[in-house]
Amino acid sequence: MHNTLGAFVFSVLALMTTAPLAGPAETPGKAAQPAGVVIVTSGGIKVLSREEAAQLFLGQRTTLRDGTPVTLIDLPAGPARNHFYRELTGKNPVQVRANWSRLVFSGRVRPPREAASQSEALELLARTPNAIGYLPADAGDKRLKVLLSLSEN
Amino acid sequence: MNRISRAAFAAALLMLPSLRAAAVEEQPPHPGATLAPAPERDSASIPEPDEMRLSQISGFATLGMVATGSRDVRFIRPSVNHPGGENPDFGPDTVIGVHGDIPLGPRAALVLQAISRESTLGSFDPRASLAFVSYAVTPNVTVRMGRVRVPFFMLSETIDINYANPWIRPPTEVYSLNPFNELDGIDFLVRTGIGGVNIEIHPYYGSSILPIYQGGHSHLSNTRGLNISVAAGPLTLFVGHAESEFALKWSGNDFLALSAALNAVTPNAANILGKLSGNDGFSTFSALGAQWDDGRWLLIGEYTRLNSRRYTHDAHAWEVTVARRFGNFTPYLTLARHTEDEPVSTDTTGIAQIDGALRAFIASRNLSQRSVTLGTRWDFYRNTALKLEFNHARISGESWGSFFARDPMNARMRDRSINTLGVSVDVTF
Repeated sequence: MHNTLGAFVFSVLALMTTAPLAGPAETPGKAAQPAGVVIVTSGGIKVLSREEAAQLFLGQRTTLRDGTPVTLIDLPAGPARNHFYRELTGKNPVQVRANWSRLVFSGRVRPPREAASQSEALELLARTPNAIGYLPADAGDKRLKVLLSLSEN
Repeated sequence: MNRISRAAFAAALLMLPSLRAAAVEEQPPHPGATLAPAPERDSASIPEPDEMRLSQISGFATLGMVATGSRDVRFIRPSVNHPGGENPDFGPDTVIGVHGDIPLGPRAALVLQAISRESTLGSFDPRASLAFVSYAVTPNVTVRMGRVRVPFFMLSETIDINYANPWIRPPTEVYSLNPFNELDGIDFLVRTGIGGVNIEIHPYYGSSILPIYQGGHSHLSNTRGLNISVAAGPLTLFVGHAESEFALKWSGNDFLALSAALNAVTPNAANILGKLSGNDGFSTFSALGAQWDDGRWLLIGEYTRLNSRRYTHDAHAWEVTVARRFGNFTPYLTLARHTEDEPVSTDTTGIAQIDGALRAFIASRNLSQRSVTLGTRWDFYRNTALKLEFNHARISGESWGSFFARDPMNARMRDRSINTLGVSVDVTF
């Protein structure tokens, strides 16, 4: 019994001491992003309503109204992604992750493709047909079309 | 699984996120890194669109520990895990799952998921928790064939995915009412909507099997059910109903001893035993639930009812949870109750010793209890939550509740109060 308890305590301590090496925890409520966020696509997709966008990024639908399947591109975890989800869905990072883990691990939907960096997100968006992603408003690219602008503050 | 390998399993679980972080950090630099300018290196690592259709592997895990305040009983998740010999016990809540999703074209996908958690037989052997092919018939209709989660409850799909839930585990009073995990069969997910209201209609058909502690198995066949969930803004409502043929075959030593004793003393033995074990059962199960999640408040309520012709008791159960988010902390309070409506059997033989054994067996099949749980979730790191919860349970009448007596034949469980303390770490990766 003591061995088991010891192993548990050791493991928790090991996790808590190693975890911060990879970066800080996400803190909902903080990390406001000054620039607005735009939802972008490479083309092919003409219009996207805010409601459709929210449903896509909450995993409530996987296609556009006309049935076109879309590929979602997520930015890496961090302030830009948190800001986007808060603006579009009103949910904090923990809620977003809990929602996606429910949908993905029950086998209902595939999660958005997570880009390793903003520049990778840009490339993926430009190269992938029917891809939808988001970027800070000042990070535009000529190859991409802005479908929705979420905030200007 | 012995104590040492169990602890090793638990430690390995917790290593997962850090191992993964280490793997990222220790990746050798790109071969062209020193030669090519940064932007080119960046685009060289971008997969072609076709590659994006490749399979995705991800997973979830919980390392959980439960300490029980009374020495003569063990906390269990009835018909889910094996009664542990240890206190604290890592068996009830510790789980790891690995999930793969392989596209088979624009409309079809193969989904495979293996989980390892303590079974009723005490083994951590991995089992396939999902293994199905899905096909999008239309953008709003998906058919899935193979093994899916059996969706009897509002939160069936996240029973093992604790990161998605506020608690260490869904309240046992409700979620022990029907312990089956998987459905081998077919289901349809039909999504529709009116205005801002999303509706999902989820019919399913198939069969399920579950091994029993000490030997035997429990089997649902010809299961047909229908769930409807309606989501509007922060509110989600759920209603589900299922009917199934039901078999329960005990072959453990305790049951065989009871059978032999009954056969020796009463000509009515076959009749008595026929209510406890056999393959002529029929069950109906209904669930009604609601959730409210506005980002600050999280309210969850669920009511479930089981009616069974034989082998298991008729019972109903409910739970209500109130949780409030304060930054990364989410404290919660849960009230729950499981009530037996009709016992498995009320037969007696007139021989005190045998009736005592029969009563003990039937009491062990009764899960009636009520409890209050106070706990908190702490999202202290990305994709990782630490949970701590205290549970005060009171067993109702001739029941064993969510507990298993260390000495079953001499168990004194009636109307007892038992405290448990749980600690767990949930990760997704």
